[in-house]
Amino acid sequence: MAKAAQFKIRANPSLKSSRLVLDGQCNFKWNQRHSWSCDSIASNLLEGLPSDHFMKPQDDTLRGTDTASVAVSCTQVVKRFGALTALDGVSLTIPRGTCYALLGPNGAGKTTLARIISAISRPDAGHLEVLGLDPWHLQTEVKSRIGNVMQDEVFDEDLNVQRNLEIHGLFFGLSGTAFREKIRAMLAFVQLDGREKMPIQALSGGMRRRLMIARALLNDPDLLVLDEPTTGLDPQVRHSLWAALRTLRNHGITVLLTTHYIEEAAHLAQRVGILHKGKLIAEDTPEGLIGTHLPAHVCEFDLQEKLAALDHPLPGAVIEKHGDRGFLFLNAAEVLQRWVSEHGLRSAQVRHASLEDVFLKLTGRTLEE
Amino acid sequence: MFPASPPAPIKVPTLPPRSAPTQPPGLARRVSAVWYRHFLVYSKYFMANATPAVLEPILLMLAVGLGVGRYIDRQFNNGLDYPSFMAAGILGSTSLYTAAFEASYGTFIRYMYQKTYAGMIATPLTRRDIFLGELLWCGTKGALFSSMVGVVLCACGLVHSPWAVLIPLAGFVTACAFAGMSFVVTSFVSSINHFQYFFTAVLTPLTFFSGMMFPVQDLPQGLKYVAIALPMFHVNETFRLLVSGPQHLSVPWAWACPFVLCVLAVTLGIAGVLRMEGKLNA
Repeated sequence: MAKAAQFKIRANPSLKSSRLVLDGQCNFKWNQRHSWSCDSIASNLLEGLPSDHFMKPQDDTLRGTDTASVAVSCTQVVKRFGALTALDGVSLTIPRGTCYALLGPNGAGKTTLARIISAISRPDAGHLEVLGLDPWHLQTEVKSRIGNVMQDEVFDEDLNVQRNLEIHGLFFGLSGTAFREKIRAMLAFVQLDGREKMPIQALSGGMRRRLMIARALLNDPDLLVLDEPTTGLDPQVRHSLWAALRTLRNHGITVLLTTHYIEEAAHLAQRVGILHKGKLIAEDTPEGLIGTHLPAHVCEFDLQEKLAALDHPLPGAVIEKHGDRGFLFLNAAEVLQRWVSEHGLRSAQVRHASLEDVFLKLTGRTLEE
Repeated sequence: MFPASPPAPIKVPTLPPRSAPTQPPGLARRVSAVWYRHFLVYSKYFMANATPAVLEPILLMLAVGLGVGRYIDRQFNNGLDYPSFMAAGILGSTSLYTAAFEASYGTFIRYMYQKTYAGMIATPLTRRDIFLGELLWCGTKGALFSSMVGVVLCACGLVHSPWAVLIPLAGFVTACAFAGMSFVVTSFVSSINHFQYFFTAVLTPLTFFSGMMFPVQDLPQGLKYVAIALPMFHVNETFRLLVSGPQHLSVPWAWACPFVLCVLAVTLGIAGVLRMEGKLNA
């Protein structure tokens, strides 16, 4: 079955950005039932870019995946709710088989974007392609290939685990013995084997979240959208979910993850986008983001201990003051160490600059809600 | 306290193999899946849910129809005794309230508290599928409960026409009409308490004064035409046609009431589904 989109494009290898313009005709077939041809669509295709364009170099598991095809491509997507502009011209591209993390403070528009990509919500403007299709106008087709883990855990509380999953399957047109076997296997995947008959009300928070993931995988999705999947979970559950997500990513399933846990994004994603007030303000690999926006090391110390230390800063260092904490960014860790010992700062800690530092630098350290 | 033994390492799960790709479900499968979801959830507590829907009209029939009816010598609608006259209205109101409760309180709870639709909309279902399925489910409940009440009325000897076998169909159409109307109301409501207005100020007078307790001809002249124009009159006359036969209709042209009712069901059904589609915002 010709499921993957086939595009003929003329790529310009000198192009630095990931946006290419289709030249001539673009045809694709899907499930033999639908076929379109469209002329000159601006699309974020990646053919012609170096194969490691979006890859973490150390990630071997992605070798052999088709980097030329794109799972999600948004161009200038806008979404308004009354006077509030939730998304203000967001453009991003997620290659197939990769994990993309959308970071942002609460209210940044992460969920709105995840809903638009999942064909749940309609964009007010912009061009969008998910798995080669227009998600809003072909929502049934697109949604049948997406697995969705939402923030709200929606189950039929009166029914047991098995029944909940069976009903979910029916919405996808899936039923029968093979599907029941699939349910069993997916429950085993999230370590809920043998819980088929358990009432939903008897499940713990972590079990419910794992069940959400099992349910989202029942239709063998090509794209898995997870909206803050680990919020409110204990570290054990979080790590076991991450293990599951890494397995999925290694199986070539494209994962879109929204989170405000920076650690989660750094752990799982090959590419991170930072969304702030409806705009994508930065996008790169986790390492790339740190490299672009901050020096490699940071010294974090208590301002109250020695505010005067900042009167003699290091040449070339970036200083940030936030509340009672001081941050001194510099590439050379040993210079920072020396500075700390010169000033006798006992509260100081020299560490690698993290994605969290970038996040806070870009989105601000004050509460904006 | 720390555990005595070191914690077990996090297991690396293995993903089951992919199944062969399938076609996305068509409209009929999607809508029937929604219907089936409601059926499963409802039938879990079927007895508890069905008892008021069936028992209340039967109690009303016993207390008012048979109880108060004993003191009424008058013949109604060309030779019907009071309980037989009231039977049609009892069936109509059963169907009406079944659908109205489901499509107001039920729908609102699924929307606001259980977030059922938020879960459904993340599957291949469209907003339209969700509410079409729900409308059909309301229709099914209307058919089921009006039939159950119909069986009891038949046992009481209040059914005089073989057309009574069509009671489930009339119950279905009635329920679809009022489910559509309730969807429209639900789409405007922001708090569950607002449904009190709908039930007390709209549905109760609609049932009591549209030919259920007494013939509309006995209303003051102006009100009579108002009552005839309201949907419940057409519901009652439809059921009267089925339970008592065409010779006992309230007005000579009342044979047209089933058709009016069908038009109402389609119009209100579409309006309700469209309104709820908009409520489940995109």
